[in-house]
Amino acid sequence: MVQFYRERDSLLHRLDPRVKIIGTTLGIAAIMLYNDPVVLIPLFFVFLLIGAFLGKISIREQMTLLKPLLPIVIITIAVWPLIYKPRLMGVLFGVSFSMRLLTFALLTFLLLATTSQADLILGFVKLGMPHEYGLTISISLRYIPTLYRLAGTIMDAQKSRGWEVEKGNFITRARKMTAVLIPLLVSSLKTAHELSIALESRSFGASPRRTFIREIRMTKGDYVALALTIGLFLLALYARYGLGLGHISIYPR
Amino acid sequence: MIRVKNIHFTYNDREVLRGIDFRMGNEIVALVGQNGSGKTTFAKHLNGLLKPTSGSVEVDGLDTREHTVAELSRLVGYVFQNPEHMFFEENVFREVAFGPKNLGLSEDEIEARVRWALKAVNLEGYEERTPYSLSGGEKQRLAIACVLAMKPRYIILDEPTTGLDARNSESVIETIGRLHSEGHGILLITHDMELVLRMAERVMLLKEGRKVFDGPVEEFFSLELGAYGLDRPELLEASERLGAGFVRSVGELMKKLGGEGVDGAVLP
Ligand SMILES: Nc1ncnc2c1ncn2[C@@H]1O[C@H](COP(=O)(O)OP(=O)(O)OP(=O)(O)O)[C@@H](O)[C@H]1O
Ligand SMILES: [Mg+2]
Repeated sequence: MVQFYRERDSLLHRLDPRVKIIGTTLGIAAIMLYNDPVVLIPLFFVFLLIGAFLGKISIREQMTLLKPLLPIVIITIAVWPLIYKPRLMGVLFGVSFSMRLLTFALLTFLLLATTSQADLILGFVKLGMPHEYGLTISISLRYIPTLYRLAGTIMDAQKSRGWEVEKGNFITRARKMTAVLIPLLVSSLKTAHELSIALESRSFGASPRRTFIREIRMTKGDYVALALTIGLFLLALYARYGLGLGHISIYPR
Repeated sequence: MIRVKNIHFTYNDREVLRGIDFRMGNEIVALVGQNGSGKTTFAKHLNGLLKPTSGSVEVDGLDTREHTVAELSRLVGYVFQNPEHMFFEENVFREVAFGPKNLGLSEDEIEARVRWALKAVNLEGYEERTPYSLSGGEKQRLAIACVLAMKPRYIILDEPTTGLDARNSESVIETIGRLHSEGHGILLITHDMELVLRMAERVMLLKEGRKVFDGPVEEFFSLELGAYGLDRPELLEASERLGAGFVRSVGELMKKLGGEGVDGAVLP
């Protein structure tokens, strides 16, 4: 199975999951502040370098995980200049939306690559989320790669019966997708059902209070990292609203 | 004729197929090897689902790189391991009709093909049933019918009997035998050595993406199979101990023993 988590010894791996969850959330909020590629492009590379140096996830690995987004990026960059004038500005906005998408995916991926499933649940729960939700989120995240592969297999099976998505207009294409969506839904529901039986048979939810085998505690380093992240985010807020940097108006006044 | 010439294939940096040559006509070839040896990856090259990184695959003269999977589906049928991965229609009839519809055939021709394919797998009378409501063996046979309705010359089956009970797998095996006698070339991917012994005429053995054996079944079972993580079928062990040599079925063993069993009892 394809997995996001890469077991390594790095600063990001050792960081408390709560700090990483907050950091990822703030990072995503920060990129939503800006729409100027002049800010967004360097920001993307900064996160890439953070992943490589602080998380020991090579740039190549990070790129491999972003690769599936390439078609969306290309479409975004191609479509904006068609619907927006002047065209050059359209290209600019296409680039800026793509960068946001890529950075969003990159941040999520870095969180998943440097935090084990158990730590991730623990982090969410300790941040105040009910543990059923914590488990739901982390299981869903874990199943994304599996689902991705399953969709690939189903598409292969249908292609072997002469199925082609590429043909036809939008409506025929959408209808053709049912050939993939229905088997995908059935298989996922089956997995979900099996999972619920597995959880129940291990008495999940039997007691309102729950014991965690592992405990996590914030170290001094974690507090420093948290302070640093919040500080950087405040700086980003100030740059955007105090100094008015990094924003281009899309709708001409 | 399927001709595979020195194909290599790489999945993100990992070379999964490392130079395989292969030819196949109207025979039953078993494709065996340990988990991860590249069997499925190899088979996906034969109908163009994967294109080789280098080398070439030709099916009846068509180079798979120059044709879409849809075009090649008229020549090579691929029955996936899990039949549920293809079912999405409300009934069996429509499910089987899906492939021929994609080929753009006329209503009459589609109907004729569906009836014919369902008959070929012994599922007549199931037209109105929901695919998901069938038993394991019936689902597998329906999956075969779906592919058969494309009238392919060659049929690939990926572990068709895995997870089926004895009776269900028997019905699938029977179907495979029938297709072969009607002139289809069959590539059977399996871990079941009993099945190989019983059905295959030729065996190709893969190990870590390389072909380590390709030849008649009899020769295959004379290999030191343990070295490849495979077991010899009990029937062969028994027959050799009885001095009857290579046999492919209990019936054949009995015949070789002169129709006489223990205490001289005459066996069928
Ligand atoms: N979509 C994929 N992406 C990346 N690697 C893959 C993919 N599919 C298969 N592989 C890898 O390629 C190798 C060969 O896999 P393949 O499925 O062809 O083996 P197999 O012989 O069919 O195994 P099995 O007996 O388990 O079905 C394996 O190491 C597998 O992990
Ligand atoms: Mg396989």
